[in-house]
Amino acid sequence: MMNEEKYLEERLSKKNPFQVPEGYFDSFTEQVMRQIPERQQGTRRMLLRPWMYAAACLVVIVFSVALYFSKIAPDTPELPQVAVTESYIDEAADYAMIDNTDIYACLAEN
Amino acid sequence: MTVDERQLVTMLSDPSTQRKAFEQVVRQYSEQLYWQVRRIVLSHEDANDVMQNVMLKAWSSLDSFRQDSKLSTWLYRIAINESLDFVRRQKVVDMVSADDSVGIANTLMADRYFDGDETEAQLQEAIAQLPEVQRTVFNLRYYDEMKYSEMSKILNTSEGALKASYHIAVKKISEFFKQRD
Repeated sequence: MMNEEKYLEERLSKKNPFQVPEGYFDSFTEQVMRQIPERQQGTRRMLLRPWMYAAACLVVIVFSVALYFSKIAPDTPELPQVAVTESYIDEAADYAMIDNTDIYACLAEN
Repeated sequence: MTVDERQLVTMLSDPSTQRKAFEQVVRQYSEQLYWQVRRIVLSHEDANDVMQNVMLKAWSSLDSFRQDSKLSTWLYRIAINESLDFVRRQKVVDMVSADDSVGIANTLMADRYFDGDETEAQLQEAIAQLPEVQRTVFNLRYYDEMKYSEMSKILNTSEGALKASYHIAVKKISEFFKQRD
């Protein structure tokens, strides 16, 4: 034992000089339990497992993307159809060696 | 009636017995925890406040209790941390306060829940002047004669560092009294 420790033990006592009110510890437990909530806070019960939540999110994302693209899709095919129709007529006219005058005359007869 | 610590831990991890088990924990450990707190904060009123916080904190962090450490070790750690937090906050209040410092020894002598003589009051003043770690180690070793191995688990500090802290604390306190002799 170090000298200073010996000095303290001879000079001082290890007696506990602190006191508490009468019956303090007897009533302490009840005092604490009155403040404890019935259910432990901070725990949340999950209805589904984590992978199910991830799968559900993926389905929602895929569905949303599909819906977005299905809304813009109908407009685009019409333009190519008009262009194809006109160029097709020109090609056909060239092949038949007829010009616009002949076409108009044919249409007027019908 | 004391309940075996392992049995308590089992009951605490079962939601159906958790509350009842916690009540037993409070009943079984509150007194020994109180004295750790009281030696740091000194007044009974403050110790009572800190103890309420200790128990509420223990209840709300039951999920974080790792069952590889002892329940008592975990509770001691909460109690000491809450006590030191309290003392740190008090120091800030004292610095801001306009009142002149009465001195810890004089305050204790006037405290109806302090039964010591002037020497014992001065000892508490000397302990209160130590840095936090030395103060805590001194109390645990000098009053509780706690083994360094157990102290190491509570304070998460090596046994060598704790022994060094204790020796320094003892030296400072003995010098405090030698100057007054």
